[in-house]
Amino acid sequence: MACGSTSLWAGEATWFCCGNAWGSCGSAGTGACGTCQSSKNMAAWPNLSAACWDITRPDLCGENMPRRTCGAVVNVRHQCSGAAVCVTLADCGPRTKSFCGESACCNGACRTNRVIDLTPAAFTAIGSLSSGKLPVYIYE
Amino acid sequence: MSHTQESGGRRLDRRRFLTTAAIGGATIVGASALGGLDAEAAFAEPMPSLDAAIPAAFAEGRIVAMNRNVLDVAGSHGERHLIQLTNATSIWKLRTTTAEAIEVGDGLYARGAAMPDGTIAADAVWVNIVNVYVTIRGIAKDRLHLTHGNDELVGRIVPDTTTASYLGGALTADLSRTRIGQEAQVLGAWRPADGSIDIARVSLGH
Repeated sequence: MACGSTSLWAGEATWFCCGNAWGSCGSAGTGACGTCQSSKNMAAWPNLSAACWDITRPDLCGENMPRRTCGAVVNVRHQCSGAAVCVTLADCGPRTKSFCGESACCNGACRTNRVIDLTPAAFTAIGSLSSGKLPVYIYE
Repeated sequence: MSHTQESGGRRLDRRRFLTTAAIGGATIVGASALGGLDAEAAFAEPMPSLDAAIPAAFAEGRIVAMNRNVLDVAGSHGERHLIQLTNATSIWKLRTTTAEAIEVGDGLYARGAAMPDGTIAADAVWVNIVNVYVTIRGIAKDRLHLTHGNDELVGRIVPDTTTASYLGGALTADLSRTRIGQEAQVLGAWRPADGSIDIARVSLGH
């Protein structure tokens, strides 16, 4: 399935590492789907499964996100620059509930709550790793 | 912020500038000419490739050798990358820095343009950067003791560099509100020598 243009969600994107890797990422493993690699355009979604939902609980931050499972693809677009990347869901995350109210802004426009976690390859396609978070729109 | 400029009547975007620099050698002006001195600025706008022959590229791995401005990188899946740094490359290693700060043994993520000779002309390089979800297990004057999954981790507090964000609030140098048992996200630079992390920013959750 190709990335589409139907609006799915909006919020804050963060980044994480997975698969074979150096440093503290070395023990991360290949994620809930068993396919995750930092060097590929992949992502973690808070409602990958019921078990995942129990960990991330975005609803506690007011984000009742729909279920999307391993292998689903979504298009993640930087709110301000318009830069976009097509990613495949490969893990469960981020832990939305732990950071309720956190926001990422650009040009005075903010998106609140962590709703998607991108691999380094995907995150660098639309932003800088050193920022740690970006305001994004998500399409499918 | 715009990362293009007029050059001799011709619009010059960052990627065109970068690949020209990589092909032509080091006779280039600094990245400030494009309005972006740091990695974040470098990616604030979309960067279309010059043409289909120069696709965007990403690399990940450990630096095994350095030859002038070329980094020889062993990828984590057995692949090999040659990453070319130019005066236009944004480099991060705990903070925005220069190529002199890069060492053999460091890990990196790099983004740039794939060159015809197989090298990658880097737009931006993030050296040893990590972004981990942790629980705070201990607090000392100069470090935080953390657990990351099943692993124990030391996060070093770096004077004049480490900042904290509490419950999504603005960044502050005041770390006095950290608590044992708190969940946190730590963005920092991994130290290959001992596996600890120099903390750039710790975001404290609920």
